[in-house]
Amino acid sequence: MLEKLRGKVEGAELYEIRGWETPVRFHAGELESAKSVEYAGRALRVVKGGRLGYSTTTDLKDPESLIESALASAQFGDPAPFRFAAKVEPPKVECFDPEVERVEIGRLITMGEEIIDRIRSYNPDLHIEVSLSRGAEEFLLQTTEGQELQERATGFALSVMAQRTAEGDILVIYDEAASRALKGIDHLQRADSLIERLRWCERLAKVETKAMPVLFTPRGAVVLLLPLIVGLSGKSVFFGISPLAGKLGEVAFDPRLTLTDDGTIPFAPRSSRFDDEGVPTSKKILIDRGKVHQFLYDLKTAGLAKTESTGNGFKVGFLGGRDFKTPPDVAPATWTVSPGRKGFTEMIADLKEGLIVDQVIGLGQGNIASGEFSNNVAIGFYVRNGEVLGRVKNTMIAGNSYELLKGELIELGRELEWAYGLLRAPAILVDGVGVTSQ
Amino acid sequence: MLELEPKVRVAIAKSRADYTEIRLEREQRTQVLFQRDRLENIEASTEVGGLVRCLVDGGWGIAVFNSLSGLEKKVEEAYRIARAVSAKIGERSSLAPLEPVEDEVRVRLGKDFRGIPLAKKKELVERYNKIMLSKPKVVSTTTRYTDSFKEWLFANSEGTLIFEERPDITLLLAATAREDDNIQRAFESIGEARGFELVEGLEGKAEEVANRAVALLSAKPVKGGQYTVILDQDLAGVFIHEAFGHLCEADFTYKNERMRELLQPGREFGVKELNVIEDGYLPGLRGNYRYDDEGVPRRRMYLIKNGVLQGLMHSRETAAKLGALPTGNARAISYRFEPIVRMRNTYIDKGSHTFEEMIRGIDHGIYAKSAFGGQTEFEQFTFSAAYAYEIEHGELGAMLRDVVLTGNVFQILRDIDMIGNDLQIKGGAGGCGKGGQMPLPVTDGAPHMRVQNVTIGGRA
Repeated sequence: MLEKLRGKVEGAELYEIRGWETPVRFHAGELESAKSVEYAGRALRVVKGGRLGYSTTTDLKDPESLIESALASAQFGDPAPFRFAAKVEPPKVECFDPEVERVEIGRLITMGEEIIDRIRSYNPDLHIEVSLSRGAEEFLLQTTEGQELQERATGFALSVMAQRTAEGDILVIYDEAASRALKGIDHLQRADSLIERLRWCERLAKVETKAMPVLFTPRGAVVLLLPLIVGLSGKSVFFGISPLAGKLGEVAFDPRLTLTDDGTIPFAPRSSRFDDEGVPTSKKILIDRGKVHQFLYDLKTAGLAKTESTGNGFKVGFLGGRDFKTPPDVAPATWTVSPGRKGFTEMIADLKEGLIVDQVIGLGQGNIASGEFSNNVAIGFYVRNGEVLGRVKNTMIAGNSYELLKGELIELGRELEWAYGLLRAPAILVDGVGVTSQ
Repeated sequence: MLELEPKVRVAIAKSRADYTEIRLEREQRTQVLFQRDRLENIEASTEVGGLVRCLVDGGWGIAVFNSLSGLEKKVEEAYRIARAVSAKIGERSSLAPLEPVEDEVRVRLGKDFRGIPLAKKKELVERYNKIMLSKPKVVSTTTRYTDSFKEWLFANSEGTLIFEERPDITLLLAATAREDDNIQRAFESIGEARGFELVEGLEGKAEEVANRAVALLSAKPVKGGQYTVILDQDLAGVFIHEAFGHLCEADFTYKNERMRELLQPGREFGVKELNVIEDGYLPGLRGNYRYDDEGVPRRRMYLIKNGVLQGLMHSRETAAKLGALPTGNARAISYRFEPIVRMRNTYIDKGSHTFEEMIRGIDHGIYAKSAFGGQTEFEQFTFSAAYAYEIEHGELGAMLRDVVLTGNVFQILRDIDMIGNDLQIKGGAGGCGKGGQMPLPVTDGAPHMRVQNVTIGGRA
């Protein structure tokens, strides 16, 4: 296809994806449907007359129309401040597990049934929904600068929701896991972890309106870390909307905080050998013992900011998954927060008074750029004198991530856990969070 | 798309399933996106795909594809999956009866955006972008224009065959203002099923957005607590969608007996003045299609009438189970997904109060305006105001920021004490998310509304 563009453009980049997946869904504790999805798409970026053009299509049999649309949009595009990826051999990253390809739909259904049985053995009255999916994708990327890459990757994902309904009290609790390997998810362990949290929900507790310490579980820690996805993006820095702009090398966080971005973790759901622009992925320290060490870049933003791409140019869709339709943009691979020393149980035991926050409502719906959050605590527990007294309701938490992670960090937990396929985080205990309760 | 009709009919006729449907889509779309002074994206793209759904012995099998050649093979694949599922299920799915229909729905757009050159779209977006950027302290902007024209073909084994054109156009204007570490963002967005005229002449809006971003720099962060709150039309619309609308989607209820007990039609849900309407036919609005993604014609229905729950929104499957009529609310964001129960145009009908009456009696409260977003987990919900004002002794005071409201829906509908006479229904550029399907074009609306005892989060 790039052959057809030779002589017509100064540069071009072709991205192609073909894949399949088979989701199965359980509703109200019973199998409801199974699905077979086959998809294909192509995205073309061109530079013509110094200007950037872009188009996508699902019709792989009609390259001419795609070329025509991309060239048409290049008439009006902005000057391209970069060149497409040059030939570089990417690292070896384990992304393909043949067992994911081989596993039968019947096995997925059995896993779903086992999860439901396990949760029902705890409480037969719960309304349970489970989704399991497995699939494989093949990416192809070619540039006129000589980069030519192919990669096969598998994906396996699981999500569970349990709902307990009573007059005046509806409880909704989630668990999810994703991996590129079949062995990357222990489905019964996910069920057990959900049951453990449900046990804490058996009692209700009342919390007072005031500032207090909050112990974010690894899943809850996304409340604190979400603003950093904006703040550590080279694009926000270049556009001047990151509070971390101009603070490279400065201490902006507690010295115990170290954060890395890594696209090479074996079988991690966001790992790959190269990003969606053909730049090799790598491991980078973003926050080094409290110091701002590195921002994330794709090719375009790197060109504007006169630096190098960090291999973080990803085609990210509305819900965070890869989508060939969107142009590449700066996005994290996998983020890891370095653990502390204390175990989760011990952190609770040492807590005089505070909230454990695991799941919130309204994530990201606020002024994320400045670090502000204000969320309803969907799953959270009140702790006094080291004892979990019960679940809280009608309760909001509010604060500013940057301030909390700088001046209010009490402790990082020892155990790292995956959350949302994006984060490997320990529990994070901070002081001074505004708690409002009805 | 319509040229595929004979192939669709043949593929369905050959199906061995109890029920078979085929849904095909062809979408043409363009996008122009400015960020600060950069044209981040300008594109024209196409997407084609389809979905086959088969019901065999009460089990669903689904096949999704991009290549439209080989429909018969896809039907066979969905059939085989459905058969495998049916061997494993307990309760069998069925569909409420529906009159077969053959129809062709063409739309007439004022200024058909498909005929507007990309250059002109870029020029307009750039103009709005420049207006916002020219304000002192505005450090960055996002100005995004999108249009999409979908040709939608639906057929099922009961004899229904419908072709429908589905246009959608949106514009987002957002400005970020900054003073040191104080970073504030303001925005306006519109979205409708209309022509290019919708997004023209909005220079004043761009100005307003930039001014508001700058004004927010000196706004006070809200203090957490319980307040009497007046919601503007936009925010009250998001409130009714999030807090109450989702609860009335029957797929949350039809296999959950306890939820059903809570949502019995006839139950008193709110004050007498409260009327909530779900309408499939408000010309030009984003939720306005003649048929849903099961081929069910649109309907207008009361969810709440005089404070009393009237009924739920249904798909054919939830309607069959609960002995109700399908309401035309089975929607999918695209051919990649099966239809689930979703809202279309949802609004609170107008009441009798004026804004002055509402504000007069408030000693210490909040006027919350425009929605950043909202989320619900049945009973608990949040929605975020884009900006707000203090109310002191019956008068508007200082500007506030970071106002996020929460509550328990069963309680808050009883705490509404005044409903305004100034109903406004308006579509935004975003959309609704549910079950991994986002963004679905929806519209919501309301008049101004006053609510007692609303919990607002905030720093201590």
